[in-house]
Order: sequence, then C-alpha cells, then structure tokens
Amino acid sequence: MVIEMLFRRIETVELRDVTKRYGDFTAVDHVNLEIIGGELLILIGPSGSGKTTLLRTINRLIEPDEGEVFINGRNIKEFDVVKLRRSIGYVIQQIGLFPHMTVKDNIGLLLKLEGWSEEEIDKRVKELLHLVALPEDFVTRYPHQLSGGQQQRVGLARALALNPPLLLMDEPFGALDPILRKQLQEEFLRIKEVLGRTIVFVTHDIEEAFKLGDRIAIMRDGRLVQVGYPDELVLNPADEFVAKLVNVDKKFKHLDTLKVKDLMVDVEKYIVEVQRKDELLQWMRDKNIEFAVIVEKGALKGVTDLKSLLKSQDLEEALMEPLVFSPGDSLASALAEMKRRNAFLGVVVEREKPVGILLANEVLLKLL
Amino acid sequence: MDIRWVWESQNLAQRTLEHLRMFGIALALSVVIGVLLGLYLYRRPKLAPIAFNVLNILETVPTLALLVLLLPVLGLGEKPTIAASVIYSILPIARNTYTGLTSVERSYIEVAEAIGLSEREVLLKVRFPLALPLIAAGVRIAVVFTMGVVTLGGLIAAGGLGAPIQTGIHLYDRDIIIVTGLWVGALALILDGVAALIERYLRDRYGRR
Ligand SMILES: Nc1ncnc2c1ncn2[C@@H]1O[C@H](COP(=O)(O)OP(=O)(O)OP(=O)(O)O)[C@@H](O)[C@H]1O
Ligand SMILES: [Mg+2]
Repeated sequence: MVIEMLFRRIETVELRDVTKRYGDFTAVDHVNLEIIGGELLILIGPSGSGKTTLLRTINRLIEPDEGEVFINGRNIKEFDVVKLRRSIGYVIQQIGLFPHMTVKDNIGLLLKLEGWSEEEIDKRVKELLHLVALPEDFVTRYPHQLSGGQQQRVGLARALALNPPLLLMDEPFGALDPILRKQLQEEFLRIKEVLGRTIVFVTHDIEEAFKLGDRIAIMRDGRLVQVGYPDELVLNPADEFVAKLVNVDKKFKHLDTLKVKDLMVDVEKYIVEVQRKDELLQWMRDKNIEFAVIVEKGALKGVTDLKSLLKSQDLEEALMEPLVFSPGDSLASALAEMKRRNAFLGVVVEREKPVGILLANEVLLKLL
Repeated sequence: MDIRWVWESQNLAQRTLEHLRMFGIALALSVVIGVLLGLYLYRRPKLAPIAFNVLNILETVPTLALLVLLLPVLGLGEKPTIAASVIYSILPIARNTYTGLTSVERSYIEVAEAIGLSEREVLLKVRFPLALPLIAAGVRIAVVFTMGVVTLGGLIAAGGLGAPIQTGIHLYDRDIIIVTGLWVGALALILDGVAALIERYLRDRYGRR
C-alpha cells in the first residue's frame, strides 16, 4: 500500500532565522541552516544549547517565534501538521513506546491509522524488525519485556514504518551503556546506508558525531557556531569553543605511535599518467573521483581536483604541488603540517613514486 | 434455620434474577454515563470542578432520602431504584475517568503527537487505554454502591432481594432476614471479586510501567 507523503524525497530542509524564546530567555537564536537531501546532519552542543528545541521546529512540535522552516522550498506552515509529522520519522532518547501496545502494535500504529490491512501491517512489521535486527517473534511482546537496546530498536522501527524521507533523532543512543551504544551505532550506520534518507541527529557525544555524521552543526547558547564536514571543523575551527569540542589534541594523543603508512589510503584509484586536460577530465568522471594524482614515468608530477581543473586552461595550470610525506613519517607531524597549510590531502611518496594518499577526512574517521 | 424453606417460600431464585437484572441495568447505565461524563469533562476541564462538586453533594444524600425524593418523579419500583444507583455511581466512574485521562504521562502524549497522531487518535489510542485501569477501579466502587441501592429498592417495591428482607422484617422472621441477607452479602462479594479480577487484568494489560 502506498502512503501519501507530503514529500517523497528531501531536496533541502532550510531553517531561516529560526528563533525561539521562553520569556526573556532565548533558547534558539536566529539559526540559519540548510540540510542537504540525503545527508546525516549532526546537531551537537552542550546541554541546554538549544539542540532539541531546534530539532522540534522541523516537525512543528515547536513553533518558532521568528523565522521559518522550509522543506523542499515549501514553508512547513502550509502543511497539515499531522501529515507533516507522518512524513517525518521521530526517535528520542526516552523512546516512548506505548506500554499498552505490543511491539507489533507500536510499530504498526501509524500503518493502522493510515488504513493498512492486517496482512500488510504484519508483513511490514516483520520487514522492519528484520531491518533493526530483532527476531520476528518479538511482535507479541510488550515494551516492558524488552531491554533498553531492544526498545530503542523498536522505536527506530516505529519511526521508519511509513518510510518517511526525513528522520529526526534526538540522542537516540544517549541512554544506553557504552558498549551497547557502540553496537547500535554500527547497526545504525548499516541501516543508514540501506535507507539513504535525510537524517538530523542530535547528540552531545563528539565521537558519535564523527562516526555517524556527514556534516556537523555545532550549537552553543542557542546559536549555530559552525557547520561543516569533520575535517573542516578540525582543521579550521571557527573559535576556541569548536576547537575544544572537536578536541584535536586529545583525540590525537595516540598519534605519537602512528606512522603515515598506518593510515594512508591506497593511491591506485587516483593515480594517472595523462598529458591533456580533457583526457584527465574524462578519466576522473569515469572513475567518479574528485581529485587525481598525476605521474610521469611513475614519478609524481602533481595533484589536481575537479574544481581547479575546470577553471584552468590546460593541465599544467591546474597542477598543484602537493604536500609530500614518506611512509615512515610520524602521522602527528604530517597532520600538523596539513593543518598549517590547510590541505585536505597529502601524497605519500617512496623513492619518487606515489605509494599512498593521506586524506584528512579519512584519517580522522579512522582515528575516532 | 431452614435455608431450603426460606429459599423456596421466598422464591429467592426468582428474586435473585430480578436483583441481578436491576443491578446489571443500573451498572451499565452508570458506566456509560460516567465514562461519557468523564470524557466530556476532559474536553471541558473548566466545568470539571463544578460538576464534581455537584456530584459530591448528591453523594452525601442518604440513599433512602434519595429514593423518597425520586418517588414523585419516577413513582415506585425499579425506575427510582435504578436512577438512584446511577446517581451514586456516576461520581466514582466519571471522576476516575477524568483523572485517568488527565494523568497519563506527558511523555506518551508528546510522542504520540510527535509521530503524527491527531488529537482524536491520541485520545482513543493512548489516553483512553492508559486510563482504563483507573476507570475500572471507579467501576468497582460503583459495583458496591449499586448492590446496596438495589437491595434498598425492596423498600419501594422494586422487587429483587430487598423484597424478601422487607417481608422478613414485617413478619419478624429472623430466618428469612438472615438467609436473604447472607445471600445478598455473598453475591456482593462475588461481584466485587469479579470486578477486582477485571480491574487487575486491565492494570496488567494497560497499566503504566
Ligand atoms: N518549555 C520550556 N520552557 C522554558 N525553557 C525551556 C523550555 N524548553 C527548553 N527550555 C530551555 O531552552 C534551552 C534549550 O533547551 P533544549 O532542550 O533545546 O536544549 P538541548 O540542547 O537539547 O539540551 P540537552 O543536551 O540537555 O538535551 C534550555 O536552557 C532549556 O532550559
Ligand atoms: Mg535535548
């Protein structure tokens, strides 16, 4: 059965100047934020910084005092609020399974309200249980007969029941013990790949943010301090606060023992020997890569990326001299160098030949 | 004491059926009216204090006085008896319904709204089921009230098991009074026991954990 969704897929979710006050206190202060369709955006910040409040303006649990929210360019005030919320999955730390309903009734509640038949509901519920890695025979259980982690999975299944293109998650793993949290994060990564939908995810755990997030939005005192990809935040923190939060130094303590070769990625995919710009462009498009390492007779000539390549007249002009490391260099000093030069990649060279690439982004993800 | 003689001469089997019939009608009416009133007051909470004050006052009128007051309007017999039972029973049922609906944990309501239940759906799918154990407790109180009033109905020709007690008092017949009295008491215990079982079931099934 097809459900009528307000939107089938998300192009953008746009928060414009969103402000929410409680009396004299400003919980969310003129936040401008664009969430890109298909990404998992993390909202992170200290307790009381306004994450939950901001999140809840997206499904209109909270109406902002100023500013507006747009989904796919349409002001969400235009939508019927019940329909809007059915088009947006919602998962919270407290889970909030209904104690008087079985697992099946909890997951299938919205399906039932949408008029699905009993068989359709059965089928969908089983599908969802499978997705969140719970046994099918859990359908008859009540929430109090489940562990915390199992309840959270049911909560996720319930949020996914109508297949909403947008998912809001407010510290979904916050109440779980560390081991279980790790496990659910792993599973969630898998589910996220399968679903490929747009997700806004609140946490105050920076490791979780780096692990799960595509982009990270940092909040403090109701304001948005910085939004960016993990490497941007680490390499170019907007201020002391961000730097402390992403806490590069602490995270990189065990870096002392690591060498560049430990965390470099294979260069094969990016390496090419070409003479002409159009040749290279075609090659990069075929391989679907953003940058390339150009060699001549096996020796490193330079690197370039799509953007510079498109801007320049010929290959020569687009070529840049990369940061070069050798495999035995200390990873810490290599990263420090990259940070100083504001470079997102470095080429690892052994006897003149490129043998690997150090990608700031990848390195961070591996370290966390 | 000749139980068998009392049972047959006073036609207790017949009287019991009459009694249970009145009881059933009165309780069913009380539940319907009480729950609906509770729901209504939940929708109009401003009226709740007034309504409950009125019901509280009615509750303090002695049963016999209430039956007498109803005589001019409803005459003798079943009608005023059932009416009086209902008047007494509405309060516990309506009050528990109202309390049950309003005291459902805020977090469940929030989640229900957040995932896209309409106000009506929140009431029917979340509030009402979660209020059921408390409503059942109200009904259980009503069971005891109703049993008492229906028995007193014997005084105003309503039939039922109040009638033989009435006869016993007239004839100064200790046996009739005791046998019928014990039987009424036993019935009351059984009905209360059944109500308790239902209440327990609902608490297990819909209770908040
Ligand atoms: N209904 C309310 N009335 C008054 N103040 C509120 C209300 N809701 C939130 N606040 C305040 O607004 C601020 C932001 O709250 P919010 O719940 O968005 O924080 P948060 O970033 O989600 O924090 P946490 O990480 O602890 O969940 C807090 O200082 C909070 O006390
Ligand atoms: Mg919060």
